[in-house]
Amino acid sequence: MTNSIGEIRHADCLFVIGSNTSEAHPIIAMEMKRAVKRGATLIVADPRSVWMTTIADRHLKLNPGTDVWLLNAMANVIVTEELYDATFVAEHTEGFEAVAAAVQSYTPEEAEEVCGVPAEDIRWAARTYATTRYAGIYYTLGITEHSHGTDNVYGLANLVLMTGHLGRRSSGMNPLRGQNNVQGANDAGASPVFYPGYQRVADPEARAKYEKAWGCELSPDEGMNLNVMMKQAGKSLKGMFIMGEDIVLSEPNVTMLEEGLNAMEFLVIQEIFLNETARFADVIFPAAAFAEKDGTFTNSERRVQLVRKAVEPPGQARADWEILVDLANACGADWRFDSAAEVYDEFVRDAPKFSGISHQRLDRDGGLQWPCPTEDHPGTMFLHEGRVLRGRGRLTPIAYRPSLELADETYPLVLSTGRTLYHYNAATQTRREPGLAVKQPEAWIEIHPRDARRRGISAGDWVAVSTRRGRVEVRAMLSRQVRKGCIWMPFHFAEARANLLTNDAGDPVTQTAEFKVCAAQVEKLRAHDGAELFPGSFYREDGPSTA
Amino acid sequence: MTIMPTKVFESDTVQTMTLDGVPVTFAQGETILEVAERHGKEIPTLCHDSRLDPMGACRTCLVEISGWRRLSPSCATKAEAGMEVETESDRIDRHRKGLLALYAADHPAEVAVTNGRPNELVAMIARYAAPTDWGHLESQRDDRPGDVNPYVGFDAEACIACARCVRYCDEVEAVSAISLANRGSYTTIATVDSLGLLDTTCEMCGGCIDVCPTGAMHEKMPLAALAKPEPDLEKVRTTCNYCGVGCQMDLNVDRDLNDGRGKVVKVTSPPPGTTTNDGNLCVKGRFAYEFLDSHERIMTPLVRSADGQLVDASWEEALRRAADGLRGVAERHGPDALGFISSSRCTVEENYLVQKMARAVFRTNNVHQCAAT
Ligand code: SF4
Ligand code: SF4
Ligand code: FES
Repeated sequence: MTNSIGEIRHADCLFVIGSNTSEAHPIIAMEMKRAVKRGATLIVADPRSVWMTTIADRHLKLNPGTDVWLLNAMANVIVTEELYDATFVAEHTEGFEAVAAAVQSYTPEEAEEVCGVPAEDIRWAARTYATTRYAGIYYTLGITEHSHGTDNVYGLANLVLMTGHLGRRSSGMNPLRGQNNVQGANDAGASPVFYPGYQRVADPEARAKYEKAWGCELSPDEGMNLNVMMKQAGKSLKGMFIMGEDIVLSEPNVTMLEEGLNAMEFLVIQEIFLNETARFADVIFPAAAFAEKDGTFTNSERRVQLVRKAVEPPGQARADWEILVDLANACGADWRFDSAAEVYDEFVRDAPKFSGISHQRLDRDGGLQWPCPTEDHPGTMFLHEGRVLRGRGRLTPIAYRPSLELADETYPLVLSTGRTLYHYNAATQTRREPGLAVKQPEAWIEIHPRDARRRGISAGDWVAVSTRRGRVEVRAMLSRQVRKGCIWMPFHFAEARANLLTNDAGDPVTQTAEFKVCAAQVEKLRAHDGAELFPGSFYREDGPSTA
Repeated sequence: MTIMPTKVFESDTVQTMTLDGVPVTFAQGETILEVAERHGKEIPTLCHDSRLDPMGACRTCLVEISGWRRLSPSCATKAEAGMEVETESDRIDRHRKGLLALYAADHPAEVAVTNGRPNELVAMIARYAAPTDWGHLESQRDDRPGDVNPYVGFDAEACIACARCVRYCDEVEAVSAISLANRGSYTTIATVDSLGLLDTTCEMCGGCIDVCPTGAMHEKMPLAALAKPEPDLEKVRTTCNYCGVGCQMDLNVDRDLNDGRGKVVKVTSPPPGTTTNDGNLCVKGRFAYEFLDSHERIMTPLVRSADGQLVDASWEEALRRAADGLRGVAERHGPDALGFISSSRCTVEENYLVQKMARAVFRTNNVHQCAAT
């Protein structure tokens, strides 16, 4: 995030795109609700009528995978009606002309055809966003989990840069991280191209620095990213170490991945529960859960905060960092760390953006937002204050490419997947929670009543959902919250793995898989047993209730 | 660490008033209570919460404003330029004692609920030495005996109808699952058709528990775990392990449970205004901690035996097997035949060590966190 969570409540315009905020980030949603109560304008762009649309000023209910069209059309309006910030554009950006030319052909009227959003709504959204001083953009996986995810992000950045909504509070561009420490794992260098602190592996100076720090030679070649590793499993990749992730449940096209894991020579995992991936493991280390160890998590707003040990781990389980130290030493290294605080100290020693942060300081002051280069630096609340970080901000023209898999005769529906309030990722933790399991005990598929009726499906019926890659059986929830022709499914449930269905073909730049769009078919299996699927859900056949 | 105060953005005009005889400054829009708190005055409150619109219902926060005939609730009265406010006086004390005595008659300490939650009302009655001998007003307040939800309990007996829970559910969580019902001293907190919370729009955020000053709204789980009352629990401040918001929360630990290993028996949020989450938590942060004590946790290292089964092993053996296995792959196929996947669920320190292991121990850059977005 370029801004902080506490700034959201002071925003005057919130443009939320591809984020089911109230379910995926309930606390951020509370801040948004507060801004709306104060009178802020809320614009939600999402193929589903997610809860936030019930309090939104407008809901742009676009066809899945047409974000680029929508964003270009908004840019078109901003350019044609001269709503951009000419001074900011001249002083702080480059590439504006190219984008202005590229969006010429993306008229709101044509966008209406492609996205299914009224041209007037697009104009209104563009005008409102461009002309409100404190206007922020918020997005999550709904933007990035597409074959054109990178383009979507450029499309948003173009809007931010041309309107100059950057470098002041409550504005800017704010990806909401799905998991607790995505930011921190990136910061720490868990990346094939970056050493800790975003120093490039390909940069000989950075390499020399770490060769000196770690006292060994390092590989000059960038590594495989996660998506490449998943495809190379069992092929060029013969051994793997996996900490704290159930890749079989969470990665796309699982059938292929399972074959790969079977062909692997050696697999070590470190986990708190036996998961789907454990079936393929040669060694499993029992790990401590978050309440049983010390360390730090870094949240979406770059705030580093302490994790403190409250109870002892069960049985012989140990903190991941302790296991890692022992494993490295068993492999011939000579690592000496007596505490997580010492590991953090080593991390920041060669990562200047973090150098001012230590466990001692966090313990004393609470969280600190990086960049925080020195011990007396207060941390950084919003990035790009008064300027764009890397000299000039670059606007990038983007062209619409349809999603890789489009609906056709055999698979006439468009399937998207996502998360819900009551479960978390692979649900290894949340499904062991009685209350959460009661609220949403089983997987389901959301289907528009008209598409359901055509297939003879009533609410609660068992149906089979199939795509080119696989098939799962779930119960049907009839709801106008999805568009006609679209279906939606949560990905938390091991017995109905949405990722048997999803497409692992991905974005050409990030390789992030296209979780949000693939072609599917639904058939009725058998009638329901009378039980209502989710009593108390705000999702109703006639659309979300707006209590 | 503090988060940005709301009022700072709403106005930068600074004005002056007098508080207990001392001139003080305030920003347009601040209430007398806010000004007083900023200047270190202690005014008792029951229905006030910084996250909610003032309601002025409990009247424990009365102050005297010169020239105003009646005492005014400081939580619901905006500061004005030139105002002269007294926060302590005989008149205020007399009123407050009478008011608390009435509360005491409706909610005698002897029948105060024992669900472990601290009771601000009982503490306030003692602190201001309010009379507790006005008898017992036996009000009939309905609760929801049939509500089987596993998290939120409600003891109508302790409810003072301050409506903090209802307003929180309405204004902050914005789902309006609960409402005030009935009248006068029979007022209680109800759901539509007295449904259990699971059957309402309730999202199980537990905010109603957190804001309740008397413990009428309480967690059910610590009772089930036979935990000590909240004041005897040890609070450990930590960061939530679910989404990327990074809520700060206090794990309430009963050290004696789990054979001395300690058990997390409830999660509470730090006070509003002190951390990013402003006193709020979601259902996962507040209630999804039972997995910690699940009997399905992996308790010992496991290794694959010759016949393909996973069997218990010592740490020594498991570490040796893992080291030999990984090193074997590197020797046979080169370091780039190894891949390391770390987790956005684990700490910064652990991610640092995984990448260091890949790079420095095995000489490969094949390292990535799962969930790179
Ligand atoms: S339950 Fe608690 S918060 Fe709600 S009205 Fe009663 S006393 Fe107030
Ligand atoms: S738990 Fe949250 S949503 Fe449910 S009644 Fe309480 S405040 Fe409302
Ligand atoms: S706190 Fe002011 S009236 Fe209740």
